[in-house]
Amino acid sequence: MSRTEISSREIVLDHGSGATLSHELISLIVETLGDVYVGEMEDSATLPVTGGRIAMTTDSFVVDPPFFGNGDIGKIAVCGTVNDLAVVGARPTYLTLGMILETGFPVEKLVRVLTSIRDTAREAGVLIVCGDTKVVRKGEADQIYLNTTGVGTFSRNPLRMRDVRPGDRVVLSGPIGNHTVHLLSIREGLGFETRVLSDCAPLNGMLEQVFVNVPEGAVRSVRDVTRGGLSAVLHEYASSGGRTIRIEEAALPVQPETAMAMDMLGTNAIHAANEGCACLFVAPEAEADVLAALRSHRYGAGAVTIGEVTGEAGGSVVMRGADGRWSTVEEMQGAELPRLC
Amino acid sequence: MSKIAVLTNDLQYELVHKNPARSAAVESAASNFIAFLDGIRRRGHHVFHLQLIIPPDDPNEERDEHGRLPVQEGTEGAEIVREFVDDPDVVVVKNKDSGFYETDLHEQLQALGVDTVVITGMQTQICVQTTAADAFFRGYKVWVPADCVVSARPEDKERALEWLAGYCATVSDSAEILRLIDELGELPRKTVKIP
Repeated sequence: MSRTEISSREIVLDHGSGATLSHELISLIVETLGDVYVGEMEDSATLPVTGGRIAMTTDSFVVDPPFFGNGDIGKIAVCGTVNDLAVVGARPTYLTLGMILETGFPVEKLVRVLTSIRDTAREAGVLIVCGDTKVVRKGEADQIYLNTTGVGTFSRNPLRMRDVRPGDRVVLSGPIGNHTVHLLSIREGLGFETRVLSDCAPLNGMLEQVFVNVPEGAVRSVRDVTRGGLSAVLHEYASSGGRTIRIEEAALPVQPETAMAMDMLGTNAIHAANEGCACLFVAPEAEADVLAALRSHRYGAGAVTIGEVTGEAGGSVVMRGADGRWSTVEEMQGAELPRLC
Repeated sequence: MSKIAVLTNDLQYELVHKNPARSAAVESAASNFIAFLDGIRRRGHHVFHLQLIIPPDDPNEERDEHGRLPVQEGTEGAEIVREFVDDPDVVVVKNKDSGFYETDLHEQLQALGVDTVVITGMQTQICVQTTAADAFFRGYKVWVPADCVVSARPEDKERALEWLAGYCATVSDSAEILRLIDELGELPRKTVKIP
């Protein structure tokens, strides 16, 4: 038996027992992750860091289904945490990897997930430094859940929401709504799944390209547009600063098929979850350079300015529609679809 | 000559009679609908019935008050309502809303040289819409006869027809579709919003 084969084709409870089968599974995991795994099997990883400050974030991933177009739960687990680090201006460096596996989950699928984690970690330039695997009985989890915690280091000042000012431009790095439409379409067979793919991507390379091409401070703050969608991001910024944010509906980057699906579902892409889209708040004089830097990266090719932060008090989000009228964008009240990430 | 296939959605006993509103809606459409299917067959075109079968292990499907999944394989309730079926018809089993999703419907239509689909059945705002969108993305000319699609609530049907007409289908009625087939030998392609 080679190191990449284990004696069972499915996960069994004893894979989480800490005994022989556990060791077999851990060997499979380590070998599949390859050079991105640098753990030394101690109880804690001890790691060098540069600078006097680190960024840390954690996220859990329960996406249903775990495999989809342009991604899977492994890719999302790396991208979600890498992107959370990158949007505060940190360089993502280390990840942990926690897995909860349901008994009966095929080992072949686990290898697919691990391979995806490895490839995405390589692309993002992060190392996996430690991990944990638990196995639960059938029905106690749905196939596979992941958790990643990330550490990033700084070579510049952290970006903060409080630095956003009136007059700042609101820039999106790419289309919105695709991840939601794709996931919903493969869950329900809506017919859009081959035309609209998830946007899942690690955005740290794209954002680094922006940061090195504009003066420090010109990018005031960045958020990745995930659960709650663009609407949630804009409301967070508007209410935090007490400023009104104005956006143009015609400027929103929405793929035509996505708009079609959203219209069918009776919702709007601004409320939809994404996994590879960043919202940047940018000094007006840096807008053109930020757009150019984004567009020169493959994940930012569709970058556009969608609006601006105004000096108006009120903390609301308003949008000018196709008919030229301004209307308030309401924040969703918990109606989001479950398990999109 | 253009080859046309009428696709019916979910005309199954258990789904048609799920509630009185559905039963009434299907009953009121049945006469025109059955005559339309006969007209299609007489003209040498095809009728495909999309039969929804819920896999017993599907975690996303809604169970009834007894915890039972509807339209299970091999049950009478999953059968297509007899009045809509004739010998040359083809039944394609599907597990999700769109009739194309993980089925061989597209391959079967291609093998017959079909370039136009007429989407019918129940419900307009779910399976008719999604099957129409899927067909449109696959390059078919898509038509929907308003008198052969059904929703439990009229407002759902109205909104769905508006969406279909706006994006991907020509919405007409069964008599007009048969008249155009006789006159032109085909159903014209619609100019749609998607670039």
